[in-house]
Amino acid sequence: MYAFGSLPGNLIAFGDFLRREYGFKLGSGELHDAARALEVVDLADELRVRDALRPILSRTLEDASVFDPAFTAFFFPGPAGVRQAAWRSLRRGFGPEDAQGKARLAHETRPSPGKTEEEEKPEADGGKITPLAITETAAAPGLLARASYSPLEAETAGEAPELRRVEPAWREAARVLVHRLHLGLSRRWRTAARGPRFDLRRTLRASLQTGGEAITARWLRRPRRTPRFVLLIDGSRSMEPYTQTALRIAVAMAGATMRLEVFTFSTALRRVTNQVRSSAAGETRRLEHLLHAWAGGTSIGPCLREFLRRFGERMIGRATVVMIVSDGLDVGEPSVLRDAMRELHRRSACLVWLNPLIETPGYEPTASGMSAARPYITTFASANDIAGFARLARLVRVRA
Amino acid sequence: MDAPTIRARFRDHGFIVDEAFATALQIMLALEKPLLIEGPAGVGKTESAKVLAEVLDTRLIRLQCYEGLDAVAALYEWNYPRQMLHARLSETEDLTLEQREAQIFSEKFLLKRPLLEAITQDRSPVLLIDEVDRADEAFEAFLLEVLAEWQVTIPELGTIRARHKPRVVVTSNRTRELSDALRRRCLFLWLPYPTLEQEIDILHARVPGLSERLARQIAQIMQVLRSLSLQKTPGVAESLDWAMALMSLHRDHLDARTVEETLGCVLKVHEDRAIVAEHHERIEPVLEGAPAPIESSVVTDFGLGSVSTPRP
Repeated sequence: MYAFGSLPGNLIAFGDFLRREYGFKLGSGELHDAARALEVVDLADELRVRDALRPILSRTLEDASVFDPAFTAFFFPGPAGVRQAAWRSLRRGFGPEDAQGKARLAHETRPSPGKTEEEEKPEADGGKITPLAITETAAAPGLLARASYSPLEAETAGEAPELRRVEPAWREAARVLVHRLHLGLSRRWRTAARGPRFDLRRTLRASLQTGGEAITARWLRRPRRTPRFVLLIDGSRSMEPYTQTALRIAVAMAGATMRLEVFTFSTALRRVTNQVRSSAAGETRRLEHLLHAWAGGTSIGPCLREFLRRFGERMIGRATVVMIVSDGLDVGEPSVLRDAMRELHRRSACLVWLNPLIETPGYEPTASGMSAARPYITTFASANDIAGFARLARLVRVRA
Repeated sequence: MDAPTIRARFRDHGFIVDEAFATALQIMLALEKPLLIEGPAGVGKTESAKVLAEVLDTRLIRLQCYEGLDAVAALYEWNYPRQMLHARLSETEDLTLEQREAQIFSEKFLLKRPLLEAITQDRSPVLLIDEVDRADEAFEAFLLEVLAEWQVTIPELGTIRARHKPRVVVTSNRTRELSDALRRRCLFLWLPYPTLEQEIDILHARVPGLSERLARQIAQIMQVLRSLSLQKTPGVAESLDWAMALMSLHRDHLDARTVEETLGCVLKVHEDRAIVAEHHERIEPVLEGAPAPIESSVVTDFGLGSVSTPRP
C-alpha cells in the first residue's frame, strides 16, 4: 500500500510527496516533529493522524486546504499500487529546480476544456471593442487563430520572459522610488542622534554611567512609515513587448524593499514574489507559465477580483502602494474591473497604473477596460525604459 | 492529555472545539511548540487561549500586539524613577560602587513585561500573543528569538532562562503576511467559521436557557449571512450577542419583525443591511409566522445602531 515499509520511511516519502507535488516547505525539523506527534496519537485512527499531521506539516491556509486530498492521495491511493506508480513517473518528469509550483501551475494556468469555450467568446468581442491604433497588437490575426487553446502551439510560440538581475541604474531608480514614497511619520518614538523631542528617560539613564551628570543628551524622533508594495503585471500577449521591462521593474523593486509582492495575471492570477526575490539575489529564471497564458485574452477585472479575494485582506492596507502594469485591453465585463478598481482604490494608499501605450502617439485611454479603471487611478504613467521608471519617483503621490 | 479529554474539558468551560482543534492542542502540548491560529475575526481565537489556561489551571499572560510595539513594551523595563529615588536615598550609606550598582540593578527595580513575565513563572503559563499581524515585521524577528531560545539577556542582570516553557498561542487575523520563519516555528491551525451543528452547540454552551428552536434559527441565519459577501461578516461573537439580546427580549423564536429589530447585533455596517435585504428570500424560510408589518416607531434605534427595545 505504501511506498516503503517502515513508519519513518513512509513519513519521509510523504514529506517528499508534499514538497514536490504541492510545494510545501518542509525541513527535517517538521518531519521530526511529525514523527514525535505520531507517538502521542493513536495510529489506528486515521482522522486523528490527519488532524495531528496537518498543523505540523502545513504552514499557511493554502497548505492546510490541500493537505487532506494530498493525504488521501498518498496513503489511500485507490486500487493498490496504481497511484504510487503514477506519482513516481510524474516525479521523474520534473526538474529539481522548479518542481515547486509546477503541479500548481498545471491546475491554475491551463484552462480546463470546459472553460475554453467561455474564454473564446469574449476574446472575439475583445477584438471588436478596441478601436485604437494599437489594435493590431491586441487582436493580431495570429492571436485569434490561437484562441482555441493548444498548449503545444503556445509553447512553441516564443521564449518565455526572463527574470534576472538588473543593472545598477534600475536598482538605484527603485531605491529612490521606495525612499521618496513614505506615508508620513509613525506613531512610535525612537531614539535618534538628533530629533525634535528630548528623551529625558534615556538621558538620565545615560547619566548613570557618568556619575549622575547628564553629559550626553538623548533624543527621540518618529521614524517614517514606509509603504508596502504590490505589483500586478499583465502578462498577456498584447503586453509581450513590455513584459520584460515590467519584470525588470519588479526585480529592481525587490532589491530596494522587502515589502513587495509581485503577481502576474492574464487569464489567471499567479504569485511570483519568490521568483522575483531570488532573481534580485542573482538567479536567472524564466516565467514559463506566461507562455501558456499568451494563448488566452486578458481578463483584468476577474484577475484583480481574485487577487482581492485571495490576497487582499493580507496585502492591501492603508500602507500599500498598488502598481498595475497593463495596457488595459480587457476582454471581460467592464463593471467587474470597475468594482475591483474601486475596491483597490478604497483600501490602498495609492493606485498607480503603468500603461506602456501612453507613449504611443495619438493614444487615448478610451478602451472599455481603461475607461472603467481610469477614475480610480491615482497616478497614470508609463515606464517603458529606465528614464520612465526613474521619472516615476517624482510622479507618484501617496494619498494623505 | 489526549484529544477527547481536551474536548470534554473545553466543553466544561463552555468552549466547543472540534476534533482537529483538539488534536492540534494535544500535539502542541506534547511537542511544546507554539500554536499559530489563523482565522476570520470573531471565531474565538483569543477565547480559546483563555480557556486553555483555565483547563490547564494555570496563568494566562497576554501580549496584545499593535503597530509600534517594541522590545521594551514586550520584555522588560527598568523602573528609572524608583532607581533614581533609591540612589538618592542611599547616598549617605557607606557602600562601595559595586554594592550600589548591585542594589540598583536588582530584580526589585525590574518591570517585567509579558514575555519576561512568561518565562519567570513557577508553572508553565499560557502565553497568548494576540493579533501578531498588527505588530511590525521587526518585532516578529525579535519574537522569534525569544520563542526559539526561551531566554532573555538583561545586560545588568545576566541571562534569564525559562524555568518552565510557556505554552504559546499566537493568533493572527491575516491583515498581513507573516514571515516564513515565524510560521516554521509554529504549528498551524486554521479556525474557520463553525458549521451549523457546531454553532448550535456553541450557542447552547454559552447561552444557557436558550430554546432549541431559537438556537437552530440563529445558527441557520448566520450560515446564510456568512455565505453572502458582506463587508463585515459576522462571527461567533456576533451570534452569541444576538442570542443574548433575544433572550433579554424574551423571544423564543425568530420572525421577520424580530429579525428586523435586532439585526444590529449582527450587522455592523449599514451597507450590509441593504445586501441582506436584497437576499431576503434566503432568510425567509428560516423564519416562522407571517411577516408582520413593521411599524416605523419601533424600528428606530435612535441612531445608536445597536439593539432597539420595543416601546410599551
